[in-house]
Amino acid sequence: MKLDSLDQDRLDGKLGKAMQFAMETVVTAAHIDQADSLIDISFAHIDACFYNGRAHLDFVNYMLEHGATLAVPAWTNNGLVALNDLTVRDPLASREMHEARELMQAYVRLGCNPVWTCAPYQLPGGPGFGEHIVGSESNAVSYYNSAVGARTNKYGDYLDVCAAITGRVPDSKLHRDEHRAAQLLYDVAGLPAAVRRNDLFYHLLGHYIGSHCGGRVPAIAGLADDCNLDDLKAISAAGSSSGSVPLFHAVGITPEAATLEQAFHGEDITEVVQISMADLRQARAELGENSQQPLAGIALGTPHFSLTEFDRLVGLLDGRSIAPGLACYLTTSRHVHAQAQEKGWIEPLERAGIRIITDTCTYFSPAVNGLRGKIMTNSAKWAYYAPGMLPVEVLIGSLAECVESAVAGEVVLDAWSEA
Amino acid sequence: MNDAPVLIQARVLIPGLARGEALVLEESLSFWGGFDPAEGRIIDVHHPQYRQQVAGKILFIPRSRGSAGTPGGIAETIRNGSGPLAFVLGEADVNIGVGALVANRLYRLEVPILQIDAAQVRRVKSGDWIEVDRQGCLSVGR
Repeated sequence: MKLDSLDQDRLDGKLGKAMQFAMETVVTAAHIDQADSLIDISFAHIDACFYNGRAHLDFVNYMLEHGATLAVPAWTNNGLVALNDLTVRDPLASREMHEARELMQAYVRLGCNPVWTCAPYQLPGGPGFGEHIVGSESNAVSYYNSAVGARTNKYGDYLDVCAAITGRVPDSKLHRDEHRAAQLLYDVAGLPAAVRRNDLFYHLLGHYIGSHCGGRVPAIAGLADDCNLDDLKAISAAGSSSGSVPLFHAVGITPEAATLEQAFHGEDITEVVQISMADLRQARAELGENSQQPLAGIALGTPHFSLTEFDRLVGLLDGRSIAPGLACYLTTSRHVHAQAQEKGWIEPLERAGIRIITDTCTYFSPAVNGLRGKIMTNSAKWAYYAPGMLPVEVLIGSLAECVESAVAGEVVLDAWSEA
Repeated sequence: MNDAPVLIQARVLIPGLARGEALVLEESLSFWGGFDPAEGRIIDVHHPQYRQQVAGKILFIPRSRGSAGTPGGIAETIRNGSGPLAFVLGEADVNIGVGALVANRLYRLEVPILQIDAAQVRRVKSGDWIEVDRQGCLSVGR
């Protein structure tokens, strides 16, 4: 592999031990990926701040003790605990929770921008079209590649930090034009327009594509013209849970797919999959059945709730309250939380019985406030992961269905669901 | 039982020496969420080898599965001594390689990561005796 003289100096330890370790990690990744060279990045979204054992803490402490600094702006993903609310996952409850908090604080000391969100693309000042970046959290990788048109592979823990320290990544896979062409087409034009306008549709579509595409780059044709950024977020998160969809093209909507021809880089389309209502019903069933158990709670905001989702929630709730005894959680970023506060939405939602949490999420262990039982969510990602990590059973619904169920205290499905 | 060992030349992702019994995963596994690095056990309820212990094994994984948390799971299980002695992958996987590299630099523990053709993985059965040398030559004995 070709290294320029600065990279070689970094690798040889002439810029300190932290830089040497970071460069060695980037070069090892390039070797494994069989990349010929390294390229500059302009931004990193860091996942290594999410606690996954003592090694995480030892790694960042090594970097701090050996004088590491960051070469590019680096924003933090969710942590395991909420730094600003000790009641979400109590840092004194166990050594792990304490270390999880320590880990997040270490990344602030390293110089990261502490945004603590899995939806960094909802914040201003992030990367734009054509920029080479490091994404790590799977939904953010998919969203940055697809909806923004930035270029990132799916980076994992440690390499995300090492890339931010060196400012370099291997020139491989989705950083390169030839790997960004669509390889098969999903056509949804045959579905009723009302279905294509329902927010649940995008979660089910993403789930279907993730389990079906086998890691190939999918294009989607026939989406509604009013498909918005929350809908693209849903496809990103759902597809990256049921499978691997680090890049998709929504024809006529996403920036590298103004036309079918552009999405496929002018190549012939060799595989077209027509999505039917039966496919959507099956996707919904795979994400949980409505059992006879009583409804115990509602989980919203995976990935983190956007301002437009807050707006819809306030309208749908329309001044009503959550049924007594029902747990209702909503996760979002501090930034969007502050925006929602400015709009005057936070206090009424909390008064209505919704617990709003920042910095972290509710779908993984340990359970937030003993969350258990039958949970309804508007997120395919939550529905896919939570039953493996928490003592819950789950079903998925649209935001409107979740709100009506939350108010009624039992599952309420709309007409489309029962069709 | 007295057959001469089969030799397979692997591509070396992270070098090292190891010898032990093969454990061949039937399906890919996420080392975040699907694996407990404290116990070295598969905890993905959907996995056909749910609850299987991987400690002390030479772990064969035909297909990789991306998860940003994978390197942490790998480094942590190596640190705990609860993990495999080596990984033999059917597809190159940066996340598993980086996890092993970080564990090596932080704790001086050596766990080689090798890649062979997925077709070659099928020649190996759980329980085979495996020896790995620094050049990535795998010896597979029954």
